[in-house]
Amino acid sequence: MRLTHSVASALLLLCAGAAQAATSWGFDEGVIQVVPKKAGEVIKERTPLAKPVTLGATDTLKLSLTAKDNGIGKRPHQAFLLLQESNLGVEAPFPLTVKESGKATVQITQKDLPVQLLAAEEPLKASIVLASFGSAQGYNGQVFEIKVELDPNLPPPTREAPVRYGKKPLIFHKFNPDPKSPPKVVSIFFALAVIACLPVLLISWLFLGANIKHLPKALSAAPVSHAVFFGSIVAMEGVFFMYYTSWNLFQTLPVIAAVAVVTVLSGTKALGEVQSRRLAGDRY
Amino acid sequence: MRPLRSLLACLFAAGVSALSTSGNRLLVIMDDVSEKESYSQFLGDLESLSYLPCRGFQLSFESPKSESLSLFHLGERTYDHLLFFPTKTKGLGPNLTPNLLVDFVNAKGNILVTLSSGTTAPTSLISLLNELDIQLPADRTGLVVDHFNYDASSSPDTHDVLVLPAPFPVRPDVKDFFSGADVSSPSEKVLAFPRGVGATLGNGPLLAPILRAPRTAYSYNPKEQKETVDDLFAAGEQLALVATFQARNSARVTLVGSAEMLQDKWFDAEVKTKEGKATKTFNREFAKRVSGWTFNEIGVLRVNWIEHRLDEPGAPNNVSNPKIYRVKNDVKYTISLSEYSWTAWQPFTLPPDSDEIQLEFSMLSPFHRLALAPDASLSSDTATAYSVRFKVPDRHGIFNFRVSYKRPFLSNVEEKNTVSVRHIGHDEWPRSWAISGAWPWMSGIGVTVVGWLAFCVIWMFSAPVGPKVEVGKKTQ
Repeated sequence: MRLTHSVASALLLLCAGAAQAATSWGFDEGVIQVVPKKAGEVIKERTPLAKPVTLGATDTLKLSLTAKDNGIGKRPHQAFLLLQESNLGVEAPFPLTVKESGKATVQITQKDLPVQLLAAEEPLKASIVLASFGSAQGYNGQVFEIKVELDPNLPPPTREAPVRYGKKPLIFHKFNPDPKSPPKVVSIFFALAVIACLPVLLISWLFLGANIKHLPKALSAAPVSHAVFFGSIVAMEGVFFMYYTSWNLFQTLPVIAAVAVVTVLSGTKALGEVQSRRLAGDRY
Repeated sequence: MRPLRSLLACLFAAGVSALSTSGNRLLVIMDDVSEKESYSQFLGDLESLSYLPCRGFQLSFESPKSESLSLFHLGERTYDHLLFFPTKTKGLGPNLTPNLLVDFVNAKGNILVTLSSGTTAPTSLISLLNELDIQLPADRTGLVVDHFNYDASSSPDTHDVLVLPAPFPVRPDVKDFFSGADVSSPSEKVLAFPRGVGATLGNGPLLAPILRAPRTAYSYNPKEQKETVDDLFAAGEQLALVATFQARNSARVTLVGSAEMLQDKWFDAEVKTKEGKATKTFNREFAKRVSGWTFNEIGVLRVNWIEHRLDEPGAPNNVSNPKIYRVKNDVKYTISLSEYSWTAWQPFTLPPDSDEIQLEFSMLSPFHRLALAPDASLSSDTATAYSVRFKVPDRHGIFNFRVSYKRPFLSNVEEKNTVSVRHIGHDEWPRSWAISGAWPWMSGIGVTVVGWLAFCVIWMFSAPVGPKVEVGKKTQ
């Protein structure tokens, strides 16, 4: 079996050597017809059609041809119409139905086309491939183009890109903007305006007759308690200042308590002295 | 000197452990042990310890009918890799059911399946391949022919020995493992693919074809479609001749459509293209690469270490991988990667300009996705460190540093490090005197304090102006 096979192939090889240059596949009587329109166009092996064939939503494209090996009608094993989308290079094969005589036909409607081809923006390139076993040279030629006209009433076909592992688009987090201050000039102006209120207040008090004429009297009556009372008020402000700059709440609270006790104790005495002046009629 | 040293190293390594990163126990399934004569070079390459790169697999041969054959023992794999040669049996018996093969893949075992158009593929393998979304022709047999690219010396009539260029990666960002092109021999290599079966692949990202059929090739059933092809299985580039599947656990399954291309007679055989040019085939090297990839000898990535640290002036230098960061901290992340190449771990490099390793800093969804750049100061002879500096987003919560590097033909890298991100503490904000907008309010407080003290003094010590008034009598 093997021997005969190899002998046969050797013979074929010899024949092939002799006939290789001579035989090649081709076709004749090629006609494309888009069915409702009925205008058939003749296609030839070597000359591609100048204008693309339009395939509407309800149309059927019919291709018929006669495959020939060296001018004689014959059935090739491979008789395909290949439609290629030029952007991605996706290609769909459509085998032709071939008879013994080499007469081959294929019908294509939009339903037969895969989504990638339907969604193509440019006309599809149509090639005819005719080839078979043996030494005959195969034929592979681009003979025409198909323009797919979609139904305008239907949503256009969408092609979802398949998931592929690869790099993804970069993401950079958008930070919230930093809090902004008004121009320093404005802040300084208003700060000065606020500070300017203090002299206005003090001067207006002076105009209304504010004075410290009772100070010697008060100090001679209760020197220690007045000094300590006023000192504790100042100290309390100092404690608040320390809390603002460096202390935390737990450092601040005991000091506040201590200062408060001093304020209460010295305050009873000092304010008692103030009351005695009022009772003496020295003040209202 | 260097080859000698690495040869010694590899002899030593083979004595100690496997040269593949996942073990060296290889089970070969074939009908008859006598068949291995025709694959002697391929199997010899797998076993070899004598020349570079030495591979050192321990081959066990079993027939699918064998009673003693078992892929698992006490729940552990008994083999690290499986190699199927075409067998004539319809199924593969109770020890190689598709379920067991899937379990084998789930246990990180690798499988290399070879088919042939001469023998019908066993149902067990068909089911396994179907499970992976690899479809074979309907009646378990098919033959790929191409009337335009065939070997004119061995198949002038039948056109079933395809002559193909060694495959380059389809995408520029995929590493080239199989083409054999390098600087020293830039010319294109040629593969012979005799009497093989083509498969079509599903659309999943786990599948990747190595070798696709040329445009004009097609698959047909030699028994039923002798005269003409009316019902086409697949044609052109849809047909995968050598296809791979890499599972999420990085286990690898490879389908080689033609077992014959691994036989001795096609290793280094001469093929003749249509134009009559005779060329030596690249089959031996290609077989080595395909089997090496499948059995984890190339394209295996390893994460050596990961470090993330605070990258701010005054940050302590010796603290890495802290558990907590603050919002808007500057952070540096570094990951060290190695790639295994036949006998040794090497620094992993990306294909130039087309691919990048990306770090995601994510809470539910990524807030940052940044490209990592090689960091020469932290790299070594066996590892490349990739790092990136960035600012933690202004959201607090539980975040992940996540590197998910999955590419065709490279084992999967999936790394996740969880950290907390806290908000800014009450004592970490700028002080109010540093904020110019606060100055009017601060001066208001100062004015109030001074005014209060002045009021106290005046209230306590001011003498009334005007006439003295009797106490207890109100002026009318």
